[in-house]
Amino acid sequence: MAAVASHQLAACITCHVWNADLSMVAICPNNNEVHIYKATPARDSVWEKVYTLQQHDQLISGIDWGPISNKIVTASHDRNSYVWTFEGEAWNPTLVILRLNRAAISVKWSPKENKFAVGSGAKVVCICYYETENNWWVSKIIRKKHSSTVTNVSWHPNNVVLATTSTDCKCRVFSVYIKGVDSRGDANTSFGEMKFGEQLFEVCDVFGWTFGVKWSPTGSMLAYVGHNSTICFVRVLGRTATPQVVTLQGLPLRDVLFLSENRLVAGGFDCYPLLFLGDNKGTWKLARCLDEHKQVVRHVKSGSQVCSLTISCSSPYRK
Amino acid sequence: MAEEGGRSGGGGGEDREDEDEDSEPVEAIINRIELKSRQVEWLLKSAQYAEALKTALDDSPTKTRDETCKSANWVVVHRVLMASKDTDALLSTLESEFYDILMKYIYRGLSTGDRPTCEQCLRLHEKLTEKAGMGCIVRALADKRHTV
Repeated sequence: MAAVASHQLAACITCHVWNADLSMVAICPNNNEVHIYKATPARDSVWEKVYTLQQHDQLISGIDWGPISNKIVTASHDRNSYVWTFEGEAWNPTLVILRLNRAAISVKWSPKENKFAVGSGAKVVCICYYETENNWWVSKIIRKKHSSTVTNVSWHPNNVVLATTSTDCKCRVFSVYIKGVDSRGDANTSFGEMKFGEQLFEVCDVFGWTFGVKWSPTGSMLAYVGHNSTICFVRVLGRTATPQVVTLQGLPLRDVLFLSENRLVAGGFDCYPLLFLGDNKGTWKLARCLDEHKQVVRHVKSGSQVCSLTISCSSPYRK
Repeated sequence: MAEEGGRSGGGGGEDREDEDEDSEPVEAIINRIELKSRQVEWLLKSAQYAEALKTALDDSPTKTRDETCKSANWVVVHRVLMASKDTDALLSTLESEFYDILMKYIYRGLSTGDRPTCEQCLRLHEKLTEKAGMGCIVRALADKRHTV
């Protein structure tokens, strides 16, 4: 299977995200701006740049577009976030002071979009929520546990549990239940009683930097990739985690995406997506490559350019 | 939230302690390596190179931090790697589970700077990469915890 269409939007894309109905895509062309394109799946269509979001001072490293609220959140090396709201004809930014002393690396809206999480180079995770009385986004920080940069964050579908990957080679799962923001009912999860910032469990079966953590649609599985060319599937039952590590022939992966409970697509430095399938016993295997091998790899001049090949983290999920 | 500050700094050191997976005494490991060594000698004498390689790689002391264990096992592996010029035969029947560990030993061989060892390891490196792919190299280089 080859790509349906390809559009060269910039020489390098550091992060990208689709909107709810997949009619627009927001990208960062390796600078401090976000460009929003009108996108149509037709093969010969021309994607038109419709908005440019300018407010950050440095490279934008993370972006997410809430499908319910239609709000965009960006995170940047300038250590701040902006929440962008579409009003009238334009995107209006609201500054979120994350209280970080290192770059923000990744950002994700929670499933209910009342909170977002930011992973950073300061070895911490920020959980941000809106305080109506002060008309202000507040950042609550989890300082414990991480001993290196938090590369990625992923929300459990229950809205109160967060998984992180880090360059300290571990994958961790935290409670991010915030009293007063989340309802009492949300506190009642399969993880038992928990308070904000508590680590529920950690997985250390990968011996390299870890990236691209994702929960499966029901939250019973977790998958992340290691920079030592492995991918780890974790079956989660309460607070017990059963990991399965699959080693790869090729170069390391950067990101994963669950299509369903037993289908997962992963992409990385080999420049083509891989499909993994889980059988009914819960054992995962590489099924096949989803693109022609061709000479894609030959065109790649340096490692940094490949990083932009992280796969669309949202589109099929939200269809 | 009160103890937040203290923990983050000491993260690295703390890791070491709670993950000392191998509490096995050094003598026990050395004994096993000696046993293995005799087996390997016997296999090499009867020219069963592929089998000797598997035996040498099996149960390598990657988890311990004791350098004497690691060196002792390296001596056994090195003996097998240098035993035959025919690298294809050596690797032909090697199961994929041994690829990663062999790659680590090949890099150890290359780091010795000894000319015949390096030459042989380079030949093996090429052959193994054909079979195991780039992922194997990446794993050998990235794994700082389970060294050989």
